[in-house]
Amino acid sequence: MSIPHITTQTNLATDFVPSLLAERPVISARHVNFAFGEGDLQKQILFDVNLEVGSGEIVLLTGPSGSGKTTLLTLIGALRKVRDGELDVLSRPLHHATLEDLVNVRREIGFIFQQHNLLPFMTARQNVQLMFHLHPEVSTHEAAKRTVDLLTSVGLGERLDYYPARLSGGQKQRVAIARALAASPRLILADEPTAALDSQSGRDVVNLLQELARNQKCPILMVTHDPRILDVADRIVNMEDGRVHSVEG
Amino acid sequence: MPSSFFVAWCQLSHSRVKLTVAAAGVVVAVMLMLVQLGIRQGAMDNSVAVARRVTADLVVVSPRTKTIFASAQFPRRLLYRLGSHPDVTVISEMYMGQGRLRNPWNKLEFPVSLYGLDPGSAMMNLPGIEKYESQLNDIDRVLYDGLSRKNYGPIRQYLETHETLDVEVNFRKVRIVDSIEVGISINTDGNLFTSSANFLRLFPDRNPGAVDLGLIRLKPDADLVAVKKVLQPYLGKEAKVITRQELIDAETVFIRENAPIDFIFGMGAAIGFFIGFVVVYQILYTEVTNHLPQYATLKAMGFSDRYLLFVVLNQSIILAMLGYFPGFVLALGLYRIATKAIQMQFSMTVERAVFVFLLTVIMCGFSAMIAIRKVRTADPADVF
Repeated sequence: MSIPHITTQTNLATDFVPSLLAERPVISARHVNFAFGEGDLQKQILFDVNLEVGSGEIVLLTGPSGSGKTTLLTLIGALRKVRDGELDVLSRPLHHATLEDLVNVRREIGFIFQQHNLLPFMTARQNVQLMFHLHPEVSTHEAAKRTVDLLTSVGLGERLDYYPARLSGGQKQRVAIARALAASPRLILADEPTAALDSQSGRDVVNLLQELARNQKCPILMVTHDPRILDVADRIVNMEDGRVHSVEG
Repeated sequence: MPSSFFVAWCQLSHSRVKLTVAAAGVVVAVMLMLVQLGIRQGAMDNSVAVARRVTADLVVVSPRTKTIFASAQFPRRLLYRLGSHPDVTVISEMYMGQGRLRNPWNKLEFPVSLYGLDPGSAMMNLPGIEKYESQLNDIDRVLYDGLSRKNYGPIRQYLETHETLDVEVNFRKVRIVDSIEVGISINTDGNLFTSSANFLRLFPDRNPGAVDLGLIRLKPDADLVAVKKVLQPYLGKEAKVITRQELIDAETVFIRENAPIDFIFGMGAAIGFFIGFVVVYQILYTEVTNHLPQYATLKAMGFSDRYLLFVVLNQSIILAMLGYFPGFVLALGLYRIATKAIQMQFSMTVERAVFVFLLTVIMCGFSAMIAIRKVRTADPADVF
């Protein structure tokens, strides 16, 4: 997380773009359709969605509400089963996955929600450290150290043992980000992480995401309506009526 | 410490009030179960107390009744036949009846159990009765059970400072020579012991040839079962010879089948179980419901259903532990109070402690099982 490190990143972006593209994409959706309900009541949400997100990319997903952004995000996050079409996430075909496979994929993804959804009965530190339960290969000592590092890096080093009720909205969202990053995810999915925040905390959160994600070379797919944060994107995917409408960048 | 246990503890202990209420519910449940089952056992034990006091090797009873408290008599002459068996050393008869003892202070009559036996070879565990053999063989002399209820007046205290006390039993003046400590039961408020002859004087209508119980002492090396088999034909169909243990078992079965002890106290214990179940279920259910979005979030991040089930299950086990031990101590206190108040012995047994502990764990676990169904409905896709 040092300055020279970021410099090499810039070089990577310019010099090695061909080789990056040659890598397998982290997310690859091909002809994905999705519908809620059965029979006559069936309502199709996604129509023939194609999307690729490569390593290290920040992709924003925008569009009016009801356009299917969140549904697409839940499919990619292995929270719903893919029924029609093909979807590979982290090189795993989710269209063939069992529930157990889905749970395993989830463990490699960092989720950030509109609501922070921290456990109110555990402190910031405990909330973050809980994530390491999913990664028993990390020793307890190491987990404790990384928890403190993460919370410090999101600016909460002074509030490790605060319960969520005593943190502001922005601080809670930052704990949630630290939690999402705790177990070194290989993909970050965020659903309007700034919606519940004022403009300054929203900007802080996005900057933080951008910085931490770049350092860990981990792609971000973010659903957002917030025009103030569009500048962080490598690409902006616009959705409308369940279809990918346009791609910018 | 497993992490699901840690999460469970954090969740439960976050609100001290909620934790206290939940634990108090379990405490009440544990206490109720222990006390009800304790009283049940106490009442049972007391009911068979007379049978347990028998120290004879074999006992002769009438085949017509199931319990010695409502015994049908059998002919005394049958007992004389048994003496011909080489292993039989002592035979003695016992008469039992309900009389009325008049409280010498307030002149009121209260029912009392009377036992007529041979004070020299009572073959009953009546501590110290041998000392009074010669006195009890005198006319109208009785021995008082010092543990009788207070209905009869302060007889025991009186005897500490006086030699004897004259009282009225069944309209006849008798002299209490002393008191010994035996113990009363659910069937009786007080006991008087005397010789067979004195017993028959108190019950002039009783046929002296009809006895309630025959007590047989065998040679120390005799084979109980074998002798019993040989003796039975001596008695024909009019009397039955059984071992001491068979007598106790028969009494226990009789109480079980005829007294509502099991039902009344079993019901009390069941209510305790139900109270605990409802309280724990309510607490766990609201905990789960209030935190459903957080649970769904954990699922979205890769925690399995199993993990969350363990979080809820661990909460129920913590509640079981927090409730059991205070409940246990309270129950011990109540046993002590009840023993004094009812003058019946209530005591904690390891079996009951373990049994109620298991019931408590089952009660809490069962509540958790039902509350857990809600966890499954936490859909990670709803978090977005």
